[in-house]
Amino acid sequence: MSRRIDVVSPKWFLIAQLLLLVALSNSSYAIPAFARMYGTSCSTCHLDFPKLNDFGKAFKDAGFKFPKEDESMLKIPPVMLGAPANKELWPKAIWPGTIPGIPPIGLRYNTYFQYTGSSSNNFAALTPSGSLPPFIPATDFETGFFSLYTAGNFGSDIAFWVNDDISVSGDNSNGGLGDAYLKFVNIGRFLKLPQNALNLRVGQFELEIPFTQARSIWTSPYDIYSQSNIGSLNSVFPQQFVNNHYVLAETGKGIELSGGRHTGGYNYSLAFIDQDTGGAVGNSPYVPTAQGSNQGGLGVQSNADIKDIYASFNYRFNLERDKDSRNAIQAAGPTGPRDHTYLNVGTYYYYGRSVQRLEGVGPDGTAALLTAREPFYRVGGNMTFNYRCCLQFNALYMFGHDMNLLPVDSGGNLIPLQSLGQVSPAGFVQGSPATFSGGFADVEWLAYPWMMVMMRYDGVNSSSDRLNALITNPSFTGSPFNATYGATRNRFTPAVQFLIHANIKASFEYEFRPSQSVVVANNPLTGVPMAFNPFHTNTAVVGLDFAY
Amino acid sequence: MKRNLLSMALVIGALTSTAAAGTLEGKAPAGNSVVYVDTIPGKTFPVASKTVVISQRGLAYVPHIMVIEQGSTVDFQNDDSVQHNVFWPSISGNKKDGHNMGTWPKGDKRSFKFDHAGVVPLLCNVHSEMSGFLIVSPTPYFAQTDSAGNFKIDNIPDGKYTVVAWHEGSKPQTKSVDVSGTGKVDFAVAK
Repeated sequence: MSRRIDVVSPKWFLIAQLLLLVALSNSSYAIPAFARMYGTSCSTCHLDFPKLNDFGKAFKDAGFKFPKEDESMLKIPPVMLGAPANKELWPKAIWPGTIPGIPPIGLRYNTYFQYTGSSSNNFAALTPSGSLPPFIPATDFETGFFSLYTAGNFGSDIAFWVNDDISVSGDNSNGGLGDAYLKFVNIGRFLKLPQNALNLRVGQFELEIPFTQARSIWTSPYDIYSQSNIGSLNSVFPQQFVNNHYVLAETGKGIELSGGRHTGGYNYSLAFIDQDTGGAVGNSPYVPTAQGSNQGGLGVQSNADIKDIYASFNYRFNLERDKDSRNAIQAAGPTGPRDHTYLNVGTYYYYGRSVQRLEGVGPDGTAALLTAREPFYRVGGNMTFNYRCCLQFNALYMFGHDMNLLPVDSGGNLIPLQSLGQVSPAGFVQGSPATFSGGFADVEWLAYPWMMVMMRYDGVNSSSDRLNALITNPSFTGSPFNATYGATRNRFTPAVQFLIHANIKASFEYEFRPSQSVVVANNPLTGVPMAFNPFHTNTAVVGLDFAY
Repeated sequence: MKRNLLSMALVIGALTSTAAAGTLEGKAPAGNSVVYVDTIPGKTFPVASKTVVISQRGLAYVPHIMVIEQGSTVDFQNDDSVQHNVFWPSISGNKKDGHNMGTWPKGDKRSFKFDHAGVVPLLCNVHSEMSGFLIVSPTPYFAQTDSAGNFKIDNIPDGKYTVVAWHEGSKPQTKSVDVSGTGKVDFAVAK
């Protein structure tokens, strides 16, 4: 898919903008989008970027502006798209809005150094004979991503956000759009609802999952968020015709209704998004898409008619004794404002209906398209305990469940999944569902304003992943975690991060990774395959990250 | 009687002429400079009773620089819709004089009496880019320069003084000055 790049302005205009940015910056060094607009440090909103403090959460809730008297805080006034008096002329005039006085653009780049244990060479045994195994170096300098962020407010409580990974791993063809949306903040005011009761977001966005993956301070992702559900394909065990590539951390395309505040009290989210469990973009030569012509365009995203539903609800209890302090955006400490001491508990639910289509036969024996519609859900809970500015405990649990519809032939006999190409299915019967569970728990300690010490435990329990790892000929590589030794994958990750400046960070993370195995043999007593000789492929990662 | 009155008049005249108020003027680095007369050995001044206001407005200290006499009180007023904090890590580098005044909401103010002379760097521990400077002069003889760098201190008794010039981002400079009616001293930019 080709990327379309727009030339937005002539050379002289870019030079003028650059000069304006230099002229308007005071004694500060280069600063990202919002810091530029308000002339304030990153640390006003971020603890250890991109992690938000309570004020940053309030800024985001308000639609990327100061929660109160935003106009008096802006150092660069917005450009008026029509005088306010035009409101009185509407509908005979365009409703007036604003755009930021300078393009609110932030850029971010990171780079890494990785050390991988020598046990990684064990994976060479999985390479088909006659092929060269991939080379995994013991040490490697790696380019991360170079991303562009732009966000702000258009007036009338309309906020926007777009971020794009321009380049990933040094290759700009790997980049892609992250979040890109318009958010209509506080539309509940038209329905006379309380402040912040109802917002509408439209576009592409990370769901309101309990802990963000896209803007996490961790170098490595949360394992449970990356867990898709691939049913057991091992012919020795009961099989599952489940091939759901959906992961909770991926961005959704659709709409979201939300409300509440992230700094105290309730907050909720209800999203309706495309279902894309197949992980591929479709195209049709006969039906145009919104973006292009019959034969071009960007294709359709959904692989089913159904729109998936995501819902979350959280309640945060601020624990200060003083009521005014409890209800304020930040707590009033003896040495200055700080984040609240709070307890947040929440729950979430995701529902979709995975679709798999097969060429089969109908009741009359003629060729027919058979569709297995397999409802699935992800459900779980989360909690956070935060002590003042500096100590936070987080935990999340998830349970995933996919209905399993097994193909049968016209005689009603189960068709082994490996034989689907040779035998035409005539229908489906329900088998045992494919399930997984897991979660993570971490502690984050801001030892100094510039130093964050962290520790995390990830655990994922998936029987089907373990059974698929026992497929030896050819070895199964489609599992979310290849060659897993046990049904439960445990990982421990200690980390430390240092803010060199408010916008420059050095990080170190060591991953004690789950057990894996590439040696499979049949149990002489039961004849059932078993894995032997487990090993760990531990990884150490050092990173440098900066935003401006 | 007439001779006593005449003698008294002569003495008063002599005393008055000895305490005549002079002027000290000159130039210092333009913008954000403060000039003051340093501690005069053996000389004390009445305790200052003045109260001045420094506001926190638009995520900035307003005014950015202020000079007061030792013993004056400053009211720190939060005029922003966000919470602010006022603290200083030291006064002229002396960390024992550092102080944190805490947090207060919009419209409220807190006061502090500055009994130690020196340079007070004002900070906010929520908004790390916020800064202001309070120069606490040990004598009542001080002035801030205008935009061109000119200063004028009135009502200085004739005498020999140590004059200090402070400029944001530079080391303070000191010079010895004789004031006899009018004194003049210039300070250049010091790195």
